Amino acid sequence: MKNHLVILLMVFCSIGFAQNNTIPIGEKLVYTATYNMSGILTNIAQVKMETSEVKTSKSSLLRLKCTAATYKKWDNFFKIRDLYESYVNPKTLTPYLYKRDISEGGYYKFMQYKYSHKSKTVQSLRKKKRKDGTIWETKKTVNVSPNTKDLVATLYSIRNLDIHKASPGDQQDFTVLFDNEETIVTIRYVSKESINTNIGRKECYKLAIAVKGSDVLQGNNSNLIWLTADQNKIPVYAKFKIPVGNGELKIESATGLKY
Amino acid sequence: MKRVFIVLGFITAILATILAVTPLSNLAIIPIIVAFLCGLVILFISRKQNTKPKSIQYIFILVIISLGLTIYKSVFNKPEIGDTEQLEQRAEENLEDSKEILEEIEIDEDF
Repeated sequence: MKNHLVILLMVFCSIGFAQNNTIPIGEKLVYTATYNMSGILTNIAQVKMETSEVKTSKSSLLRLKCTAATYKKWDNFFKIRDLYESYVNPKTLTPYLYKRDISEGGYYKFMQYKYSHKSKTVQSLRKKKRKDGTIWETKKTVNVSPNTKDLVATLYSIRNLDIHKASPGDQQDFTVLFDNEETIVTIRYVSKESINTNIGRKECYKLAIAVKGSDVLQGNNSNLIWLTADQNKIPVYAKFKIPVGNGELKIESATGLKY
Repeated sequence: MKRVFIVLGFITAILATILAVTPLSNLAIIPIIVAFLCGLVILFISRKQNTKPKSIQYIFILVIISLGLTIYKSVFNKPEIGDTEQLEQRAEENLEDSKEILEEIEIDEDF
């Protein structure tokens, strides 16, 4: 009985914790991605993060869309046209459908996750382009833990954390489903900092991101994200280190914010 | 010794000019600096030997051209987004397809 009460309390707390009070419908964030080329930062691509409402006959969902497109001058070298989207519950940001449709310099991949929260499974569909242009599909059912989210939903969920209650060093783990595998991503609150951005000088929460057991995001404190220390908690600046170098993500504009 | 600097100066100056023309113009800064330093070293050696090699002029001309191009590009060339029509079309198709899928999915408000 005692155990049941504890579990019930935990579930209640986690639901309360997950309430979306930051991300509105119609928010649009535009970023410039820069890549470090032998010490010189070069603008590579534009990244957009948009939210919109999607209505079905039974309910209304929040569509979280992220797109990345390289600047014209890079298109002849390495053209990137990536689309990531997640359809989530607008109240809790629980994902129901995720799509990743990427086209990077001739490489094409499509990934789709259909969540079934009751059975704790995800039906995944992967499409890849062969060299001769034909597309092959792979379907798989993946068992996931109850809090597993996709990349896009996780990015938005970070903004829903009660960072104002946290003290430096506090951390939170997220389970992210990527390429049909669950990965633990740890977000650690580093400090509060004021930085200059294209939307003005902002007081920010500095967070460190680390991926357990992977070398995608390398190093300790090398992958950082700055969220505004207000109710919107918009990511204004990010620094990342990957196996092929390091780069930055800087905000250009932010519209349709909730507060 | 002088010949080494002349060869190095020429290679870096030509590389700087090539890079300055391409979208990788930001990268031209490093060979520009190397070529410029090589030019200075050749100039210094030539003064000591009391000779006037033409190579210095060529290296400096290439350095000036590539530096001018690099500065012009970084000041006046604003990054423009390429053609995103296909991406927008894919997004639209995905949205329509997603709506159909979401109709089939059982959405539980409790989650």
